[in-house]
Amino acid sequence: MNNSAAVISLEKKSKRKEIWKRIKEHKILYLFLLPCIVSLLVFSYYPMYGATLAFKDYKYNLGIMGSPWVGFKHFEDFITSPEFWTVTRNTIVISGLKIIFGFPAPIILALLLNEVKCTKFKRAVQTMSYLPNFVSWVVVVTLMTVVFTPYGGIVNDIRKSMGLEAIFFMGEKNYFYPMVVLSDIWKNAGWGSIVYLSALSGVSQELYEAAIIDGAGRLKCTWHITLPGIKGTIGIMFIFAVGGILNAGFDQILLLQQPANNEISEILDTFTLKTGLNYGRFEYATAIGLFKSVFALVLMSLTNFISQKFMEVGIW
Amino acid sequence: MAAIKETRAQRVFQVFNYIFLTLFGLATFYPFWYVLVASFNQGRDFTRGGVYLWPRAFTLENYGMAFDDDRIFSSLGISVARTLIGVVLGLFFTALVAYAVSVKTLPGRTAFTFFFYFTTIFGGGMIPYYMLLRDLGLTKSFWLYVLPSIYSFFNFLLMRTNFDTIPNELRESAQLDGAGDVRILFQIYVPLSTPIIATLALFIGVGHWNDWFTAAYYQTDQDLWPAATLLQRLLSEATASSTIKVGQETNIATLQSYTSQSLQMAFVMLLTMPIVVVYPFLQKYYVKGVMVGSVKG
Repeated sequence: MNNSAAVISLEKKSKRKEIWKRIKEHKILYLFLLPCIVSLLVFSYYPMYGATLAFKDYKYNLGIMGSPWVGFKHFEDFITSPEFWTVTRNTIVISGLKIIFGFPAPIILALLLNEVKCTKFKRAVQTMSYLPNFVSWVVVVTLMTVVFTPYGGIVNDIRKSMGLEAIFFMGEKNYFYPMVVLSDIWKNAGWGSIVYLSALSGVSQELYEAAIIDGAGRLKCTWHITLPGIKGTIGIMFIFAVGGILNAGFDQILLLQQPANNEISEILDTFTLKTGLNYGRFEYATAIGLFKSVFALVLMSLTNFISQKFMEVGIW
Repeated sequence: MAAIKETRAQRVFQVFNYIFLTLFGLATFYPFWYVLVASFNQGRDFTRGGVYLWPRAFTLENYGMAFDDDRIFSSLGISVARTLIGVVLGLFFTALVAYAVSVKTLPGRTAFTFFFYFTTIFGGGMIPYYMLLRDLGLTKSFWLYVLPSIYSFFNFLLMRTNFDTIPNELRESAQLDGAGDVRILFQIYVPLSTPIIATLALFIGVGHWNDWFTAAYYQTDQDLWPAATLLQRLLSEATASSTIKVGQETNIATLQSYTSQSLQMAFVMLLTMPIVVVYPFLQKYYVKGVMVGSVKG
């Protein structure tokens, strides 16, 4: 018994030696990793520690570490505040609308592009559709302002020439959600279609040929061959979409937000930003941010679990 | 499939498909064209409406005014500087990390990857991040734009996936010839990966060029604002004064023919043009890159 234990410990020792040797051999590679580790510790992990502020009463002169603990006070304050429901509802409504209308858009675009036989035409449409992805939301919102303005904007000019009244699309509350969804599709559908197009190119042509010989039409082919063929990609993209549900497109909303639509446009992120940076309520804003991060992580895990169970794809 | 004769229904579908896709392409492209036309048209003339396809009163005045405006000019300088420095540093440091992790005998490479990945699924939030930047003194420095954003997990993943396709034997045989890791990385791996490096240069560059948020909320020195942030400020000022008709507050006293709107249009185009010039040429690279990222990610 003693003997075998000694053998095991000797094995362990030699194994440790072996690893130590390998570590020494790769010294320079660790040097390559070092700046990254430092940067992640400072810019990503330290703020995670800083998030403990959510459980504290922040005193500037005491710093994050020295400030006294207050438990879940800020979370309770937030959940019982009148803003809680408005902000959470807005976040989920905006994300929900984007998933309902925005999620299928790149899939449909990819399916349509896939039917195009003229390569030049296909490439031209693709190239044009990628452009909005590369410009900033600031530029997109500026374009929208110019196109939709009631004062000489093209959309309202057309409306007027048809005898309709001009509408202040960017300022009226009723048009806020349609504008958000529309600009989201406009900016992201083209770029989003790349992933589906590549998945489509992986669907076997033989399946189509066999189906056509069996007398299946185009719609039947799409339904029974194409869609099942890209099911995995759709599943993974869906997990990401649901995982990001609490983001709701931060900078887009921030730029489209106006006093007139504030009531329906304030989302978790914009609210955090305002309470924190504009009103200086650091610990309260941190609590809202943390609430969001944790909730998002749970959501993502949940969809991943469900997707793995029913669609056999997952990101973990 | 081509061998089979198309039915009538399929032909109808094809026609509608082409029409729909043409309209979609135009809808994405036209707003840029509209603003381009506006930027080459006299401002006051433009507000009369009806300028859709071609400038009616052609002028270069808007661009002239944009370059004469000190704030706009220097903000463009900041944007160019942060984009160049950001791309160079981002590529260099990402290459180091991707190379190290692609060496399969490196102890701890999986742990490191998880350590990196975790930062994408959980974070401390905006406020602790802001407090950190403030405490480091970055909120009044140019380096605010560059230092915190050198590493991105997505970029790392793209580069590593690419390095993984290079056989490790290449590294081993180079080592036998006496080459160190630095030489192997920059003389073997990097030249073999130009497509992915071009893609990443585009992604990182576009990210820097477009980032308005960092400066708008974290930068206290307004002289250090990049162009995207300045445009956002001009936009929100215009929105705030939208009760007095955007773009129509022409300066009658000096009889200028440009308006704040036409100046803004030129500014938007100065921000968009560099992107329009670059992105179509790299298309075949980044399309592949996005696919790799989405499959492995």
